[in-house]
Amino acid sequence: MSAPIRWPGGARCAVALAFDLDGPTGSAMLDGSIWRNPELFGLGGYGPFRALPRLLDLLDEHRLPATFFTPAWVLEHWPDRGREIVARGHEVAHHGYRHECYFDLTVAEQVEVLSRSQQVFHDVLGETAVGFRTPSGDWHAETTRLLVEHGFSYSSSMRGDDRPYRHVVGGRVTDLVEIPGRWDFDDYAYLAYQQRPAYPSGQDRIAGYDTTLANWQAEFDGFRAEGLCLTTLLHPKVSGKPGRVLLLDKLLSYMRAPGDVWFATCREVAEWWRATQPVPAALPS
Amino acid sequence: MVAGDATGSGGAAVVSRWPNGARCAVLISVDFDAELPILAADPANAAREKTLSVGRYGARRGTDRLLAALADAGVRATWFVPGRTVELHPGAVGEVHGAGHELANHGHRHEDFDVLTVSEQVDAVRRGSAALAELAGQRPRGFRTPLGSWKPGLAGRLAELGVTWSSSGFGDDLPYLHPDADLVEIPLHHELHDHPYFFFNLQPPFPAGQSRIAPYRQVLGNWTQEFTAYHRFGLCYVLRLQPEVIGTPARIGLLRELFEHIRGHDDVWFGTGGEIADWWRARRVPNDPGHPADLFATLTATPGTALTATPTAALTAAPTEAS
Repeated sequence: MSAPIRWPGGARCAVALAFDLDGPTGSAMLDGSIWRNPELFGLGGYGPFRALPRLLDLLDEHRLPATFFTPAWVLEHWPDRGREIVARGHEVAHHGYRHECYFDLTVAEQVEVLSRSQQVFHDVLGETAVGFRTPSGDWHAETTRLLVEHGFSYSSSMRGDDRPYRHVVGGRVTDLVEIPGRWDFDDYAYLAYQQRPAYPSGQDRIAGYDTTLANWQAEFDGFRAEGLCLTTLLHPKVSGKPGRVLLLDKLLSYMRAPGDVWFATCREVAEWWRATQPVPAALPS
Repeated sequence: MVAGDATGSGGAAVVSRWPNGARCAVLISVDFDAELPILAADPANAAREKTLSVGRYGARRGTDRLLAALADAGVRATWFVPGRTVELHPGAVGEVHGAGHELANHGHRHEDFDVLTVSEQVDAVRRGSAALAELAGQRPRGFRTPLGSWKPGLAGRLAELGVTWSSSGFGDDLPYLHPDADLVEIPLHHELHDHPYFFFNLQPPFPAGQSRIAPYRQVLGNWTQEFTAYHRFGLCYVLRLQPEVIGTPARIGLLRELFEHIRGHDDVWFGTGGEIADWWRARRVPNDPGHPADLFATLTATPGTALTATPTAALTAAPTEAS
């Protein structure tokens, strides 16, 4: 094992709570089919409309910060909700314009999504995003370079580590910090369900809330025991359903109980990482 | 840790939205589908006696158990009954009606609305209502889409057919008003539906990926935890059941336990769909700003704005649609 990470204030580990506020964006909006599918639009719209206020209350009650990766289309259509996130002390970060899969876009299209979304962030929130989480599946071979060129501070897109690291572009170590997530902490892998289009594709069952909570508590225990950096991929339209807010309530209480966890936005984690961690000389690919 | 709050938007005092100061509303809804979805999925299934019997179990066995559980809990439910169910299972539907439950429209043959024109959708509703009217002496006021989505214009046609409320949509955990017609919507939640957790058939397969049947205790746990939250936040809890799914010797016990748990609270209003819709309509409270149903109506009202068809078009569309 590598040397333990020293977290701020002598904290045992870092937790960067993060939500993907997708709303109704995604592939069905990109191909236009959602405009014939009000059920799907409703399932998505529930996130910013109903779930988000409850989640902001929950975070207030626990006095915890979070990052909301938000497609710019959602900010355009629920601008007050976006401003409320910021007003309550949280971070809003880039998650595509309509939740595009960067893997499928040309470089020019990626630049357009980034530029158009940053303009919306500026118009609605008064500031552009410094964080990026790639929507949907993979990103493109050129995406990392584009993020560096557009001045992003960090990404939270990858799955291959449980600690932050710096991205390498063209053989050069950059200032772009990666805060990797894990599918294990994606609520879609447990709780999301829709009929048309089917999700999960095989229409697997919605998991038990108690068993889901137990998995997440076990993951937290492991991250804390090894002193790592945990971020989450929670979706308000999934985890902000009434009964699941109680699930998150139990999870947050569990994470706070030890009293030795550094809770921060992804932006704060990235800034701290750049400021304190030596730049690696060797270049992992 | 989550503050008790009827608004879900802060630590304010509880303000009831429901009759007699009740803290939350509960609708027990039943889709009496029997074998109809199997037949509707593929006409060739008419020869699949074994598969059809999975659905018919609801009429033959499940309905009696479900009626008994509802009677013992003192719950009046809303049963969405396709017209063909009335014709195929008149005895079972008659029992439901005789027990005093509300009957509501669920199409005629449990049609997939995605493959119907709006006039075909209207025809399915009309035939379903005619069958229920013949049985009960009056047209149903409630409607639940059997499967698929409404074509534009259906909402107004439903109102013409005497439908005053629907329980088909998603996007809220309170009733809301349809933007296009004089209809109250009582929205649904997949996690409060027995079918996604328990329904199973080998061939044709359901679920498509043939996942395992969900553990009973976990499903009861989910339903109970959702009720706890709906009660805390003052919402409208809509349980969606199917006699062929919940009405087995074991699963009916889950429902009885859930009823016992809910009945342990003295501030819960059990309403039928019609009662809840009437109550909501009489409140005369508009939808909260930014409601997904209103946004959807706005964005689909002007073809060529929201209706960008391809990723490329989505990227190059003028940002005028986003006001």
